[in-house]
This record gives sequence, C-alpha cells and structure tokens, in this order.
Amino acid sequence: MILKMKKEDLSAFLESAKEWGELWGPTRKGERVAFEKVETLSQMDLKATRTIIPPKKFLYPPRFTMFDYDDKGYVERTGDVPNRILFGIHPCDVHGIQIMDELFLEEYKDPYYAERREKTLLLGHSCIPDDKCMCFATDTEFIAEGFDLFFTDLKMFYLVWVGSSRGHDIVRMRPELFSRDIGKDDIMNYTEYRNWKSSQFTSKADFTGMPDIFELGYNSPVWEELAEKCLSCGQCTMACPTCNCYNVVDEVDLGTVEGTRDRFWDSCMFREYSLVAGGHNFRDSRADRLKLWYTHKLQAYIGEFGKPACVGCGRCVATCPVDINVVSVSKALKEQEVGK
Amino acid sequence: MSSPKIGFYGFTGCAGDQLMVLNCEDQLVDLFGATDIRSFAMAKSDNDDGELDVAFVEGSISTEGQLEHLKDIRKRSKVVVAIGTCACWGGPQAMKLEEGGYEERYKKVYGNAKIEVSKAFEAQPVDAFVKVEMKIPGCPIDKTEFLSAVTKVVAGRHPYFYSFPVCTECKWKENPCILTEGKFCAGPLTKAGCGAVCPSHNIPCVGCWGPTDDLNVSAEYNLLEEKGYDADEIIKKIKKFGGAVVAKMVKELSAKKNTKEGGK
Repeated sequence: MILKMKKEDLSAFLESAKEWGELWGPTRKGERVAFEKVETLSQMDLKATRTIIPPKKFLYPPRFTMFDYDDKGYVERTGDVPNRILFGIHPCDVHGIQIMDELFLEEYKDPYYAERREKTLLLGHSCIPDDKCMCFATDTEFIAEGFDLFFTDLKMFYLVWVGSSRGHDIVRMRPELFSRDIGKDDIMNYTEYRNWKSSQFTSKADFTGMPDIFELGYNSPVWEELAEKCLSCGQCTMACPTCNCYNVVDEVDLGTVEGTRDRFWDSCMFREYSLVAGGHNFRDSRADRLKLWYTHKLQAYIGEFGKPACVGCGRCVATCPVDINVVSVSKALKEQEVGK
Repeated sequence: MSSPKIGFYGFTGCAGDQLMVLNCEDQLVDLFGATDIRSFAMAKSDNDDGELDVAFVEGSISTEGQLEHLKDIRKRSKVVVAIGTCACWGGPQAMKLEEGGYEERYKKVYGNAKIEVSKAFEAQPVDAFVKVEMKIPGCPIDKTEFLSAVTKVVAGRHPYFYSFPVCTECKWKENPCILTEGKFCAGPLTKAGCGAVCPSHNIPCVGCWGPTDDLNVSAEYNLLEEKGYDADEIIKKIKKFGGAVVAKMVKELSAKKNTKEGGK
C-alpha cells in the first residue's frame, strides 16, 4: 500500500508515533553523523548521506551483556530493550538489515538480535547519493520490502510505502495525515524522482562478473600488494552494514563467582580471529584475511544467497584511510594492479 | 583457599598506574579483601619481601639497582604482570631505543656531575630482562581493564585484552576517521582498551596504550608520508609510546628504505 502525506505533516506524525517508542534519527555534529535519540524532527539531518555506523548497532550493539551468571546458573538480559522507532533509514541500510535478518533469524535464531529486531520499527527515507554511494552497482538503490514504512520525498509530498502491519498501525494513529488520493502528477513525480536518483551516481563501482573475477583472482599477487597497505584497523568491518562477526568474553566480579557474559564486534581482518587452540592460525597473513573479507562479500555470499553481501552504502570507501574498499579491490582484481 | 598473595612495585615511570589502582575507590575494599597485599609501598607501610602469587610491576627498568630488584621480584613470584605502558613497552623514556647515542644523551643532561646512585642505562620494558606472564598497558591503565584482569588473575583464569587497534573502539564510538582528514593519528598502531577517549574528542591518538598485537608500521608510515608529514616527525611520533616493539620495526623499515634508495 502506498499513501500520500504532506511534507509539513511529518513532524506531527512523528510526535504521535513516539507513543509506540523512542524516536531515533540521523543527527549531525560536524562530520559525525549518527543515529541518536531525538525528541523532534528538527533535531534530525535528513540530508545526511550516511551515518558513520549503520543501524545494525540497534540490533546488535558494539558491546553488550548477554546474561548474568553465578554458580547456580544464568539469567538472560533480555526484556530491558526499549521500543525504538528508527526514522530516516536509507534503502541500502534496509537491505543491510535484511541480510542481517537472514543470518540472525533464520537457521539459528539469535535471541538478543531477535528481541531488538522485534522492538525496532524501521521507517525508511529516500536519500541523496554522493560520490561514494554505489547502490546502483549492487541493485540496492531502491527498496520494496523489509521496512515498516518508507517515505519518499517528492518535494511537496511524501509517498509513504506501508511495508508491514506494524507500519500500518502507526499510520492509523493519525489517519487524517495520510491520503490514498494518488493522482497522475504523483506518478509522474515519482518516475522523475527515480530517474533523477539514478542519474546522481558518480562512483566508478562496477561489480559485473564479480563472483568469477574473485575465483580467477584467488591467487593473484594483488592480494599481497593490498596487504602491504592494509593497517588491520578493522574500521571497514565495524562500518559495514552486513559484517556480523562477534567475540564473546566472560567478566567476573572481584572476589565472587558472579559475572556477566559479554559480546562485542569482531573482525576477520584481525589475526586473533582465526587463531585456534594450540596456536595455529588459519589466516596468519594479512593478505589471506583481506582475501577472505572481500571474497565473502563479493563472491561466496552470491553463491549462497544469490546476491552480494555488499549493499553499496559506501562506508568502507568513506572510512578506510588507505583506500582499500569494495570499489578499489574489485578494480584491482579486474585490472591486476593496485591503484594509487 | 587462602587469598592470593600479591605485590605492587614501581620502577621508572610516573607512578600513575599504582595511583590508578588506588583510584579504584569503589572496588578497593573488595580488592584488599579478595587478595593478601604483601607489598604496596605507595599504599601501606608494612611491606615484606616474601613469596608472591602475583607481582604487579609498573615502570621501565633503567638502573642496575632496579634490575636487581626486578630479578628478585621475579624469583619469588609465580606470575609477573607488567602494568602501564612503561612497564609493558618502555614508555616515552624508551623512545630512542635502537638509535644508540645513550652516552651522549646522558652527558647532555647530567654533564660531569658525579651520580652516587645506581648506574643508569637506556630504559627498557620489563620483559627485556625477565619473563612477564601478562601485560596490562595504558597511560595510565584503565580501571575497568585493570579490575577485569586482576579479578581473573587472582581467580586463576585468563584475562582477555582486545587484540585490535583503538580504531575499532573509535568506530564503536561512531567517530569519523581523523586520518582520512589528514591529521596525524597513531590509532592503527595502538592497542585498544582506552575506549578511544582522545579521538572521541577530535584529538588524534598519540599511541599511549602502546603497540597493538598486529601492527603494520610500514603502512602507517607510507600513509603519513603521503599526507605530507616528513620522515623524522613520523618516526619521532610513532616511537614516542611504541617502545621496544615499534623501535625494532622502525629500524627494519629504515634499513629497507635505505637499501631501496641506495639501489636506485
């Protein structure tokens, strides 16, 4: 279902939606763009292209406690997650969450992810691409499902996609703000918007032939060259909307047998990640670790799920200090040369 | 089970790590309750030199007298834990390691003054002289990290320290990378654990936690050079807290660069 809403009514709508839960949206402080808890629409920066960290932080935080334990057993730390409305999520990030859902909710359901997912409402918003955006190359430029509501900004109006019954419930809090009266102009405006968005990309990303290029380039010397540049800082992994690996560690309270079991974001880019008991390391060299990350994103995932594990958000492009990212790596593999 | 006997000792450094231990005010009673603190000159007066389960050693080693004391601590302790960046890596006083010229620097500071105390030498981390089971870095150490480690050590368990650089914590704090802005940040070489305090206030990392487990000195060097910093400044800054580990890597890197240039 697609509805129409006046731009000036958004503020009132979000105010009412807060009855469902906390309102979170993209905020800007200098170059730092992050989803933060807000009270009003005016605190958000809806023109910001991307947050530093994707919304995965809501579904599984960088570090959190899974449960408390003592010598008798353990008590899960579930139940204390608040209801949250995330407003202003872009299509790439909704695609990212869909990939996270596949990993955390399907075969082995993760209770911590599941609870946060259940208590998070995704209200998407259309975006303005910049020079790092490459969703056109990963087919994630638009989104048809996975959100609760999606707002497409057509200057005077929003077209509002209702993507779930929960989304519909929120709409019904203020039914008078929405109309079903979609006319010829609206359709033309929407077509124009899509064409405009598609014309905005300047990134040179090109993932055609990617699974094959990775297979052909598996033993390429390009990986060694990339490894010489790589700082192993882990920023790419933390910023990637589909990276989901974590480590688990127990904390103990001093002088007791009580403590917590914590989980935090980990990265296959780190040497410790592939270190096993006895001291053997499956990917001791930096080149092997880089190869794993990129092969996973642009080859292996395609084989398993039929699409890349890259949603084209451009965060790896924005954050890597030495220009190692999905664009430069796929280009290097194709051209058999690491660019400057 | 009797409480584990532990001791705290300080060598060349600012004593900030021992102070940080005392600064764990809310947990101090628990710490004194869970352990039998046999020696802690900064905190109490009746100290003895008996057998220890765990010795916590702060500061780098820079005199013959300290070295003798350190060896004695090692001999009577089951586990030796280096606390703070000076003990773990050498600290700023070890920033000239692998460069030589100690005698001249010594003379520049002390001239021909007759020094009566123990003979001094180039400061080095504790593990340059004795076996160290564990390192808790930081300048000063972080309370949470210290307490987490101590709790596990006294319980006979293995503490966990982040193996990755502070950049990872910096991303957790949702900071844009200041290296991409062209600022001199030592984050990629520096062990996590501080919670990325400085970059979270837009101040570049100076590396005070010491080297991370898997650092790429040459990549950091090339990046900074590309950003317009000159070789001397880069080396001076990355060696400030890098201690013995980074000093060795920088020496290898310089040798490699020299051969390359010589071959041209």
